Amino acid sequence: MKKLVSIPILFFITAMGFAQEKVQDSENTYKKRVLETAEVEFLTSLYTQDGDNAAVTGGIGSEKLIDATATFIVSVPLNDDDVLTVDAGVSAYTSASSSNIDPFDGNKPADPFQASSGASASDVWTNGVISYAHSADDRNNIWSAKLSASNEFDYFSLGLGGSYTKLFNEKNTELSVNANVYLDTWKPIYPIELRTSNLSRYGTITGNANYNPIFKKFGSKGRNSYSAGFTFSQILSKRLQGALMVDYVNQQGLLSMPFQRVYFSDVADSFIENFQLADAIELLPDNRTKLAVGGRMNYYINEIFVLRTYYRYYTDDWGITSQTASIELPIKITDKFTLYPSYRFYNQTAADYFAPYEQHVSSEKFYTSDH
Amino acid sequence: MIKKMILCSLALSFFSSCVAVKEYEKVKINDPDMALSEKNVHRLEATFQSYREAASGANGGKTGGGCGCN
Repeated sequence: MKKLVSIPILFFITAMGFAQEKVQDSENTYKKRVLETAEVEFLTSLYTQDGDNAAVTGGIGSEKLIDATATFIVSVPLNDDDVLTVDAGVSAYTSASSSNIDPFDGNKPADPFQASSGASASDVWTNGVISYAHSADDRNNIWSAKLSASNEFDYFSLGLGGSYTKLFNEKNTELSVNANVYLDTWKPIYPIELRTSNLSRYGTITGNANYNPIFKKFGSKGRNSYSAGFTFSQILSKRLQGALMVDYVNQQGLLSMPFQRVYFSDVADSFIENFQLADAIELLPDNRTKLAVGGRMNYYINEIFVLRTYYRYYTDDWGITSQTASIELPIKITDKFTLYPSYRFYNQTAADYFAPYEQHVSSEKFYTSDH
Repeated sequence: MIKKMILCSLALSFFSSCVAVKEYEKVKINDPDMALSEKNVHRLEATFQSYREAASGANGGKTGGGCGCN
């Protein structure tokens, strides 16, 4: 069982910007703008985690990670009906496990429980999304489209999507459908021992000196994700509303992580210093279908408290099922300050292709030790 | 799965039987904390969760793509 300690620290600043209020008086009618003013949101977070089951080192080793993120979201009303939103973020992290893609570039002896200090010890993820939403005059039909891109050293993603929302029953009922496509590309980075012909430069191989890993570079470097979603929401009373959500996702292409090692129980172990050399890298099917069904129910208790609840059931064709439940009780301390105490429960079963450190055998077709 | 679909159908029929709340009665429903989607500030937390958890989707957010972690 993986032990993880996470300390998300979230800050939330919302700034309201300028606005040009416009009254549409043709034919003496007034149409409320979808968004009255331009809005700017700045979000930042600091996340840390620790654990002893790093996937990069085959299910053992340090999972220490620190991630700092900053995001700007700017929403601008283009006219009464249309809103353009630009969302840009950057996330910088240092990771002990990814540093051990090459454990031999540090000053200390290579060890899965020690971070190395090479290039793979840190990375920067940048992300941008432009979205456009149009509302019909009666505000009962909303169309939106978005284009997104993100990049990190070994991964690039391009996404596009759209949604349609229909409100009826005096805006008490809302139906929404959405579809997204992500076209991603890996720049595979393999464990150092699998891309070096002269391992002796890193030290003497101990244990099984005839090191002979199962390794072939991935031919396909693309990963495409296709998703479709459906949301039904309903106002149930003056204080209560709920929603049901369904998301279907199909992924194709390189779904394995190229830098995650696997150690087989039927292969003799080889080491350099304290570091066990990979028997293979993670190998997973090139197709995966996911289905998530969720529900929300929110209740307005009084001017200070709101009760927010959420439940999700998830299943996929890799054998994973999962349940997520959360409860949140926003407390309005003042008009401008709200506290969000929350409790979240999550559990899942292991994928069919998962086994812990040294429990796979080399004859298996697919294998991973990603906890 | 069939049981879950029946439960969803029952929930839908329950929802649709409700009396419509008028616009001028929606002061409490329109409170920002009553929104039926994740607040933006939770997006970052959802990203961290995707590092560690297999499940995603059905929360009004991204359901695939964008990083190598899911």
